[in-house]
Amino acid sequence: MTIKIAVIQFPGSNCDFDAVHVLNNVMNVDAELIWHNNFKEAHFDGCIIPGGFSFGDYLRAGIIAAHSPAIDEARVMLKDGRPIIGICNGFQILTEARFLPGALLRNESLKFICKWVNIKVENNKTAFTNRIEKDSVLSIPIAHAEGRYFTDNLNELEDNDQIVVKYTNKRGEISEESNPNGSLENIAGVCNLEKNCIGLMPHPERASESILSPKGTTHGKLFFESMIEFIKKRGF
Amino acid sequence: MSKDENWIVEIVLENKPAARDPVGTVIQKDLLAKKGYEMVSNVRSGQYLRIYLTANDANDARIIIDKMCNELRIFNPVTQNLTILNVFKT
Amino acid sequence: MPKVKSNGTELKVDLTDKEITQIKELLNREPSITEWGMFDVMHSEHCSYKSSRPKLKFFENAEKNYDRVLAGPGQDAGVIDIGDGYCLAFRIESHNHPSAIEPYHGAATGIGGIIRDILCMGVRPIALLDPLRFGTLKNNPHSQWLLKYVVKGIADYGNCTGIPTIGGEVEFDESFESNCLVNVACIGLGTIEDFNHAPSRAYHPGDYVILMGGSTGRDGIHGVTFASRTLTEMSEADRPAVQIGDPFTKKMIIEATIEAIKTGHVRGLKDLGGGGISCALSELTGEGGTGALIDMANIFTREPGMTSFEIMLSESQERMAFIVKPEGLEDILAIFKKFEMSHAVIGRTDDSGVLKVRDGENLVVNLPSTALSDAPTIQREEKSPDYLDALHKQKTPEPTKELKEIMHALISSENICSKEWIYRQYDHEVGVRSVVKCGEGDSGVLRIIGTDKFIAASVGTNSKHCFLDPYEGAKGGLVETCGNVIANGARPLAMVNCCNFGNPEKPESYWYFSKALDGINDFCRTLKIPIVGGNVSFYNEDEVKNTSIKPTPVIMIVGIIEGAENIITLPFKKPGNDILLIGETKGELGGSEYHSVIYGTEGGVPPKINESIIKATWEFLLELYSKNLVEANHDVNKGGFIITIAEMCFKNKLGANLDLTDSNVNDLRDDIFLFSESAGRFVIESATKEHDIIMEIAQQHGVLVRKLGNIIPEPKIIVRGLKENDIFLDVIKLKELHASTLPDLMEI
Repeated sequence: MTIKIAVIQFPGSNCDFDAVHVLNNVMNVDAELIWHNNFKEAHFDGCIIPGGFSFGDYLRAGIIAAHSPAIDEARVMLKDGRPIIGICNGFQILTEARFLPGALLRNESLKFICKWVNIKVENNKTAFTNRIEKDSVLSIPIAHAEGRYFTDNLNELEDNDQIVVKYTNKRGEISEESNPNGSLENIAGVCNLEKNCIGLMPHPERASESILSPKGTTHGKLFFESMIEFIKKRGF
Repeated sequence: MSKDENWIVEIVLENKPAARDPVGTVIQKDLLAKKGYEMVSNVRSGQYLRIYLTANDANDARIIIDKMCNELRIFNPVTQNLTILNVFKT
Repeated sequence: MPKVKSNGTELKVDLTDKEITQIKELLNREPSITEWGMFDVMHSEHCSYKSSRPKLKFFENAEKNYDRVLAGPGQDAGVIDIGDGYCLAFRIESHNHPSAIEPYHGAATGIGGIIRDILCMGVRPIALLDPLRFGTLKNNPHSQWLLKYVVKGIADYGNCTGIPTIGGEVEFDESFESNCLVNVACIGLGTIEDFNHAPSRAYHPGDYVILMGGSTGRDGIHGVTFASRTLTEMSEADRPAVQIGDPFTKKMIIEATIEAIKTGHVRGLKDLGGGGISCALSELTGEGGTGALIDMANIFTREPGMTSFEIMLSESQERMAFIVKPEGLEDILAIFKKFEMSHAVIGRTDDSGVLKVRDGENLVVNLPSTALSDAPTIQREEKSPDYLDALHKQKTPEPTKELKEIMHALISSENICSKEWIYRQYDHEVGVRSVVKCGEGDSGVLRIIGTDKFIAASVGTNSKHCFLDPYEGAKGGLVETCGNVIANGARPLAMVNCCNFGNPEKPESYWYFSKALDGINDFCRTLKIPIVGGNVSFYNEDEVKNTSIKPTPVIMIVGIIEGAENIITLPFKKPGNDILLIGETKGELGGSEYHSVIYGTEGGVPPKINESIIKATWEFLLELYSKNLVEANHDVNKGGFIITIAEMCFKNKLGANLDLTDSNVNDLRDDIFLFSESAGRFVIESATKEHDIIMEIAQQHGVLVRKLGNIIPEPKIIVRGLKENDIFLDVIKLKELHASTLPDLMEI
């Protein structure tokens, strides 16, 4: 049996092909691109909500996709403990769908930002970070206009260990200069209470091949390796 | 001469009727119509600004806002209309 | 403006009296008002190239003379075969006038238009590049406003459609203050099979004509005529509503179109741009040798009560016309339904050779398919401007400032400073193809997934050089853009251009255009670079000062790199390595940044191009690459080679220890030597042990190479061996100056 991962394509998703490419050609698992109306959870061991501008980000980034039937299907996977990752716009969709706590607001600079940043792994007990050492500093790109993480319940997030990654400098120090978008506490990714669903503003699929990386690293791969490991441990 | 009363002016900027409004169209078509609100036939989006200012009277407040918006290109007259929704005293 | 009449309705047209008579003779009747509108649009400068065609016909026939060219000028985009069954389509276009009025939507819809052009060649758009021109930013809120919103328009549209903006070029010059230039370029990638599936022609009678995408509204009617006149000629009220782009719908159009092409049922494809449905249908049938009957009732409109005139001429965005085989109709409609794209079968092709449009009982259009594409040409007068002689005689003043001070002023000048403020706003990585990213090389380099091939693309020209000498300046633009892709390890494959000039009815403006085209033509023939497409934008005038913009024949070059190991990047890498200057430095400072930044002058003689030396230099570099002798490469551009070296130090915070004693072969004054903008030069990094072999290869190619010094680990540049005092520069300081100019001007 091979591991089957769904990459859900909403109208306006644009990192969908990139995620499929990395899973199929770099991770060597069986990833399938599925139009949001046609997604059936039962066929898959995990699911990726890719980046992009679902429904043009009109009204609010992620809100219209959060009402898609695909999200109802994904909710079954969520309850069932299968791994779900929302990347960039996918993260925005998952917060709007209340899979994940908090919200993503417009960047403090009010501008789209495309650059490579450093993030530090705060929680390595999730479905997507179990193969990464805690406190490791990863090199990974961001590309978003609405990535400023906000929650009115930071204490709960901290108490429940739901902060997965934070923006830092290359030495892993959290500072204002290393916060690209004004996120609360430099938060770059969070998870649900059960730790099987995470949202990331940075793009691991853009950091999984050394040729694409300014420093030749492949840190993005670690998130997908963790996902595969998690699926294998659960049994599929 | 100025009485310097405190006023609030609420304005809305929206695309001219002949110009497309993709934001409104997607909200209507991809959200409302699909979730059972077929009675909604059209949505137009815009930008709402609430401006606090001092002015002699309501008319004076209107004139200031109108001049300001035109002079500073708060809206682009080529594509957008400006509507003053409300003028009231604080 | 002349007026025409039909059934009591009057219409102002841009047609000449002669054209009006010819049209009536051709039809042997009075055209309907809709037909008049169609002729007006199709005979406009923008659609018919009536002023430029007499010059464009001198270009080589690229399709005939180069095996790799699959589609050349006259098509929606140039297409070249890159091997392994893949092809690239690319094109560049202007969207100047709409952007000068409404920078955000003007730039956004420009991106929308160029994406459609690439898409209708049957391939997926994979990259955008944007050459821009504005007035100088300092103390100029209007220019700042234009830059801010043009960049935002490009970013919002490009980012949303998931097409990375991988490069661009910007110059600031007073002549662009009220008429900014927004040129947009797009590259598409697909299989040759996909390309063959989707000609912009309707060759077969009996096929269905399907309109897909946005609805047809009253926006942008006569936008083309607008592009064919100066901004002054139209009052605010005359100006058509600038169109609103919808990148989300465009993204859906891209996906639906690609899926439709993959079925093999599509037999023709055309985007609706300038001239709307009328333009698209006349090109599809006219060039395909067919006719069509269209029922206007099936065209979905945004507003009720639109007249046939408005529907046929609407330039509403985000629409595509498909020609579909009868047996494939159901499959194609199912795809459009899946993507929830509005669509309608609006008619069928036939063998009548006539384009007919029915509005109820009436035939509102009944024209021979080719009638619209046979626009006449106009032979414009040309005359060189009187002011040029005096400008050419200007000499470089004696420097009154220290060279170090001049370096600081140049590195922070608007035209040389870092453009990071712009490219950070563009998603330049989506698509996981971007190998050399913005700021890391002279061009953008993309991988072709599934092969070991990479493509490099660059856009640009030097408007100041072209202003002083359009012939040499246009060639210089080619040397510069080709040099950019070569610096990254690529061999140039083909070029497209976007010619931005003033009013062609002014003999001086036409002279600039004519000479620039001669330069492009001569260079491309000698260097064997096929010209696979072009766009001409005239009537770029400053309405306040009543002057033309500086002539700007923008060049776009696409090159290919075989093998990842052959990709070269810009930054210096290893202390101890040699720094070599390739090419000869002459006293060529006309139109240089040194003149304009330090002395406020723009005269002098600009760099001259010697094609045989350029060719030798390229072959020399490609041979060095094949022997893995080059660690870094950056072409010498504005500000001269000393600026080039500084830029190479920035990324890895390295320095350079230079001794120029033997390098100044023409015995130039220090400032002239350092800041000369002689074309076709490069600065490379190479291992010291390879010095002798590099010099030997240089000799074989007859290329002048001089070792300038070595890379040092400390971030400082030491320049010795000048006629006057040595210079000591702090790289960190230079980097700060380079980086802070745009943010300081824009973040207020």
